[in-house]
Amino acid sequence: MGKYDIQVYTEKCTGCLRCQLACSDLTSKAFNPLLSKIQVFISNSGECTIHFTEECNQCGICVDHCFYDAMQKNEKEVDK
Amino acid sequence: MIRGGFSGSILHVDLTHRKITIEPLDAALAEKYIGGLGLTIRLAYDEIKPGTDALSPENPVVLGAGPLVGTSLPSSSRVYAVSKLPTSNTIGWCGAGGANFGYLFKNAGFDHIVIKGRADQPVYLKIIDDDVEICPAGDLWGLGVEEADAVLRKKYEDRIGVLSIGQAGENRVPFSMAFVDRISTLGRGGLGAVFGSKNLKAVMVRGTRGIKVADRKRYKSLTKSFLKTIREYPYLKEWQDLGLVKSFPMIPKEEYFGMKKRRMACVSCPIGCKDLVEIPDGEFKGLTKHTSSVINLYTPVLYGFKDYRESVKCMATIDAYGLDMFEFFGIMGFVRSLLDNGVIPRDLPGSEIALDSLHSMEEWARKISFRDGFGDVLAGGFKNIIDTFGKEAEKLSPALVKGMHPYAGPNSALPWNLFGTMELGQILDPRGPHVGSGGSPTYFARRPLAVFPKHLTRMGVPQEDIKRILPGYGSPDQQQGLEVGKLLKYSHRWFTLLGSLGICARAAINRFYNAELCAEFYETVTGIQTSLPDLRQRVDRVWTLLRIANLREGFAENDEAPPESWFNTPGFKNYLTDEPLAREDAEQMIGDYFEEWGWDRKTGTPSRSLLKELDLKEL
Repeated sequence: MGKYDIQVYTEKCTGCLRCQLACSDLTSKAFNPLLSKIQVFISNSGECTIHFTEECNQCGICVDHCFYDAMQKNEKEVDK
Repeated sequence: MIRGGFSGSILHVDLTHRKITIEPLDAALAEKYIGGLGLTIRLAYDEIKPGTDALSPENPVVLGAGPLVGTSLPSSSRVYAVSKLPTSNTIGWCGAGGANFGYLFKNAGFDHIVIKGRADQPVYLKIIDDDVEICPAGDLWGLGVEEADAVLRKKYEDRIGVLSIGQAGENRVPFSMAFVDRISTLGRGGLGAVFGSKNLKAVMVRGTRGIKVADRKRYKSLTKSFLKTIREYPYLKEWQDLGLVKSFPMIPKEEYFGMKKRRMACVSCPIGCKDLVEIPDGEFKGLTKHTSSVINLYTPVLYGFKDYRESVKCMATIDAYGLDMFEFFGIMGFVRSLLDNGVIPRDLPGSEIALDSLHSMEEWARKISFRDGFGDVLAGGFKNIIDTFGKEAEKLSPALVKGMHPYAGPNSALPWNLFGTMELGQILDPRGPHVGSGGSPTYFARRPLAVFPKHLTRMGVPQEDIKRILPGYGSPDQQQGLEVGKLLKYSHRWFTLLGSLGICARAAINRFYNAELCAEFYETVTGIQTSLPDLRQRVDRVWTLLRIANLREGFAENDEAPPESWFNTPGFKNYLTDEPLAREDAEQMIGDYFEEWGWDRKTGTPSRSLLKELDLKEL
């Protein structure tokens, strides 16, 4: 598992898919948003959902590429 | 050798014979014309036979998205179409923020689509990776833009890009447009009617092939510092909050924030300037509307609407039909003046024409889109109205350029009276009177000359050319020192470069790009060795070819004469001095513009030596 808890703020999302571009490039070495581990969807009426697939390891690259503060990452607390 | 960026194929669709073929991209041609807008113009030049009727099956629509579209480079989503356009009869480029369509189109494996012929029944084109099919559109035909888009999204489970037309396009209204993902407009000049003439309601795309970058290490390094610059831009949040309202402070912010439901961005854009709005109260409470610019929703206010909610409702109707709002209101204003002056009998239209009335404007948008009664006369555009009502009508006509309404200027919809490159460009863009910033410094009013050199350097203008564009810079009398005609060449060049790469030219984002960086990005993404002088020459080839294409159609210098009303009181003013603009001033600028390109100063014909230099001689 990755080291971050990722929190989403769907009200701030614009559907720019910079998160999906970054994720797909990291995992498949090509920009392929529909195959990324994070999937953003904004409906016709404007409702936004941000979904992480089972393969997502919470690496946080999606958060690093968001320009709209629609996501935040916090380091997970680890038992030692 | 191409190693990234491009998807590698061109899709050819013959609607008449229902034939679909996929051809590999000609790498040498792609390199020569950069890609995107540039290669779209070249493919269209090859496909359009001179004199082709814009609404005939023979007229092709060529779509294209540049080599940077689909990457994570900021605002690299632009989509272009080139076709013979029915309002102006020019071979014109049409461009749109690509929303989702651009990246999905590229991911399906295509850089361009060439659509020809005419289907024997309404159809839409389905492209899902390799699965390309001409599908019946019986259930879509007759629907508005947003409705058709919604039906396709429901059918294909949403994650698609859609290019669609409304009823005005179906009925071949020559001032109808196509829409990208129901939010961006494509085709002032009549691309919607060209689609309609082909019985083509929509193109939907989905793709999962992936866009590769040739030099990943360099890409990572370049984008890291580039994105940091954007993040640290002090006005980033303000642009994100306000979008284009930042450039148009006359729009009341409380109204904008009251109806803004969600800021929308084209794929990869870190600024976002599109919106989904919802009318918050009143008779139309709850009505939602996607828009490429909230400014557009205020267009009816420019024509007399008092209530912004009625204005939004009116634009929802106009956009649903797929009408060009400026041409629509221009025509309605013209017909109103014909009625007021007795050129048209008062009872002929059959119902009231009131430019400040929602009911009236919605009714006329419908009548025009469906060619209902007198609406059929208006659907033919300015030319048809003048042909119908003769010389008396012609006397009252607003300024027209290539049969269309240039809508920026004194007494026009956008009452900007300073004569900068965008205003001059309304007669010198080969497509006809289109208004676009072209990334030029004169897009904003009254900028001091002192900021121009830095801006022009960013646009890639060589230092020796800057001196000729700004002869007054550095001299005591700086107010006399801006050559707008010469500057327009470099504005067109900068716009063509961005468009050929696939980058948005809107002021909010193009400010972060510079021409050197564009050359680096192009080389990094595609693997094609490129310097800035190389790119400049390729851009010059593209724009000169568009000029040739339109000269081939029979356009000549008299088609580019500035309208008389531009010099009447109150007319345009000099950008720097506020002095009234004289016809001779404008004519001087036109000559300067042609000469700067290496075209004949009077006729605008490219010289033989230029054609040889640009390797266009065979054309």
